[in-house]
Amino acid sequence: MDDVSPSRPAADGGSHPARAPRRAPERAPAGPGPARPRTRGPAAVAALGLAGALAAACGGSGHAGGDAAGLTYASAGLVNCLDPQASASRLISIIDRNLFDSLVATGPDGKIQPWLATKWEVSPDGKTYTFHLRSGVTFHDGTPLDAAAVKATMDHAVDPKTKSVYASSLLGPYTGTKVVDASTVRIDLAKPYTPLLQSLSTPYLGIQSPKALRASCTKPVGSGPFSFVSWTQNTSIVLKRNPSYAWQSPTAKHTGPAKLAQLTFRLVPEDGARYGALTSGQADLIDDVPTANVKALKSASGLRFLQKDIPGTVENITFNPSRPPLNDVKVRQALQRSVNVDQLVKSVFNGVYARAWSVLSPASPGYTASLQNSIPYDPAAAAKLLDEAGWTGRDAAGYRTKNGKRLSVRWPVGAQLIRPSENILAQGVQAEAKKAGIEIQYVSEDSGAFVRDVISGNLDLYINNWRALNPDILRNMYASDRVPAVGGSNMFHIKDAQLDGWLNGAAATEDAAARQKAYADVQTRIVQQGLSLPLFVPSELLGVSDKVQNLNFDASLYLQFYDVSLGKA
Amino acid sequence: MKHDPDSEPDAEPGAPSAGGPGAPRGGGRAALARWVARRLLLAVVVVLGAATVTFGALRLTPGDPVKVMVGISAAQNPEIVEQARHETGFDRPLAVQYADFLGDLARGDLGWSYQLQESVPTVIGDNLWPTVSLTLAGFALAFLIAVPLAVATAGRRPAWRALSSLLELVTVSIPGFWVGLLLLTFFSFRLHLFPATGGTGLSGLVLPAVTLALGLVGLFTQILRDGMARALDEPFALSARARGTGETAVRLRHALRHALIAISTISGWTVGALLTGAVVVETVFGRPGLGRVLATAIQNRDFPVVTGITIVSGALFTLITLGVDLLYRVVDPRLREAPA
Repeated sequence: MDDVSPSRPAADGGSHPARAPRRAPERAPAGPGPARPRTRGPAAVAALGLAGALAAACGGSGHAGGDAAGLTYASAGLVNCLDPQASASRLISIIDRNLFDSLVATGPDGKIQPWLATKWEVSPDGKTYTFHLRSGVTFHDGTPLDAAAVKATMDHAVDPKTKSVYASSLLGPYTGTKVVDASTVRIDLAKPYTPLLQSLSTPYLGIQSPKALRASCTKPVGSGPFSFVSWTQNTSIVLKRNPSYAWQSPTAKHTGPAKLAQLTFRLVPEDGARYGALTSGQADLIDDVPTANVKALKSASGLRFLQKDIPGTVENITFNPSRPPLNDVKVRQALQRSVNVDQLVKSVFNGVYARAWSVLSPASPGYTASLQNSIPYDPAAAAKLLDEAGWTGRDAAGYRTKNGKRLSVRWPVGAQLIRPSENILAQGVQAEAKKAGIEIQYVSEDSGAFVRDVISGNLDLYINNWRALNPDILRNMYASDRVPAVGGSNMFHIKDAQLDGWLNGAAATEDAAARQKAYADVQTRIVQQGLSLPLFVPSELLGVSDKVQNLNFDASLYLQFYDVSLGKA
Repeated sequence: MKHDPDSEPDAEPGAPSAGGPGAPRGGGRAALARWVARRLLLAVVVVLGAATVTFGALRLTPGDPVKVMVGISAAQNPEIVEQARHETGFDRPLAVQYADFLGDLARGDLGWSYQLQESVPTVIGDNLWPTVSLTLAGFALAFLIAVPLAVATAGRRPAWRALSSLLELVTVSIPGFWVGLLLLTFFSFRLHLFPATGGTGLSGLVLPAVTLALGLVGLFTQILRDGMARALDEPFALSARARGTGETAVRLRHALRHALIAISTISGWTVGALLTGAVVVETVFGRPGLGRVLATAIQNRDFPVVTGITIVSGALFTLITLGVDLLYRVVDPRLREAPA
């Protein structure tokens, strides 16, 4: 943390420019949540977290600085655009964390610590944040990291041309950034927004070189411990150590340049090929370990299995309360109780994932354990609720009817976005609902039709999960003003005065106890009102070679590579 | 996308002439040039037609392409959608879009990929060689396996023929991704002979090419064997034998050459099949390539990339077809005399 020698331009563009489909719909998070796009279901979620710890390169090798071959990480994720402000996916965040630094860092205890900003002041009204920047920091292209660069990055995040998937929503009631002097920058808000500092600590708001903003999708330039080398579309992304790096995050375990000479991200969507790459030593680290292989991996020599629950919202089916038949709370509660979630999750994922009871992950601050067993599998209770709701008739197919109309809900999914395991899970839910007399029309659609249905609200069920450290993610999904048109993810236009009160109150208060209470109330109400059926807790499922040392996760459970070194297996 | 009927060989062309490759007789040279010129013009029409059909088909896909392009979350923000609609030109009338498309095409401008933030020629250029090398290697491998199999089994050795037929059926029937995974498991994960993914050199090409070739071996072998069996029944085979030519020589010099015509006939189809197979192979082996780029582009409604790849592969296809038709004229003298 001290003076810094000017870093040399790092991104020698030796190789192919990066190119991958930008924002492939399949991976686009359904909402602002950082979590991994639905595409890969649980696994997807899992995949990102792990990246941090990479496995050693196949060759095994020395530490700090000596790893010529570097580390190879085979990921199930897709990369479409490396611009941290434009994209939001687990793998892109993990890659970007190596390229970009942030103004502040979130410690393991959730406390905010200085990073590129050595100190900051918050105005008494909570609407102005003034940051004092560390001196001597330079981008990989040699440009100094100053107040103008911070402003350019923030402006870039909110520019409609960037088509930000997530970063702009992280800025909350942001109104603008002002350059006070070269090393002082001020961020203005329309109203108090306590999650701001935490947002600024994520890779999504990592500071970019202003000179490289235009092409940052394919040729990102930051100030991080690694610089961009090449991207071969659908194949690999290579980064190399930034030799001038001296402004590491306060959460890091060492100082100076990174220990790995090179970091290679291989994109291997095929489960068998990815797992084989790990067991044969062609990759040092893989994510999204197929659940069927977990048992074998645990007993494999020279390899280890890591599972970490991801903060944010769990894999859950969100119910659409804005149109019949799910506008009736009793029908929603009946659906919650007619599915044997425990059994389904256990059999589909080989017992790897834990069943979820709240919409918030147990790994999230603000999680309440009080909902355990609050919506047990109870066909009798479900039948009673449906009777009370007036769905007393039965048609020839065995489905319940009311006034001659079948009790039927629509559940479209994007064919290219859904993983096979999720597909099986969904069909299990469908079969369970049928037993209770509820028809689920599970429809697999082309991406065009699916996006149309989601936008027009022509769906009753929507499966999703979002990775986010801050429970404020719930506000983005359930507060009535967070509709998609303003960048929120309240896609079903849920309007609940109690939820609004707690969520907005929690976002504006500094009182930790009050926040905890508010979020517990929110989770309880969401489950009791039948707005969601929590399924399982997404977790990172990593396979790691024993050569990989010092693999760590940041607060959001993204893999960190700065401290990683390769030892002997 | 079929060959011109006028160049389709008759069911059973006569014996190949002894003439060397392409030696049109006097006066034939001008006729040949006229024929090639006409065919090139037709090729342009075919490529234009393919581009137009693709242009139309993409606009008939369900949903709003711009919303698919920006992704589900951004698609719900009207400001972003309108910005993207304007950038991609989807805010203009269809006729104007088509006119622009043709105009750009005439200038050789294939457009800009929205998803990849790169010009389409760059996207294609970066991915063309990996796919071409994969398909060439797959084709060559399939051919090299099929020829000895067919030569060895055509019209004789019923037991071997039955075994070969069974294998052909199996290789045609099993899906490429499964073959790929089997090969990976054995040769890469167990024996460590080849890299599993990302190999760009020759060693990285072996397993993908074998995977691709296996799907074609069965087809090639059957076509070759059928053609050879028929040729061996022809009088010219009998007369060759009567001259004392050895059985192997009869098969290689007479029957095989004959059967090769059928292989060149389906070569256009083969190019298409290889491109399709490449999507699967590229995914399993994590290789760069046009097949995967195309599949992703369709899924993400990246229209310029889809039309660009259609045009390039359409051009390749028509050129190969033209080459094959030229080859016929070399191989089959009757076609040479047909008025161009």
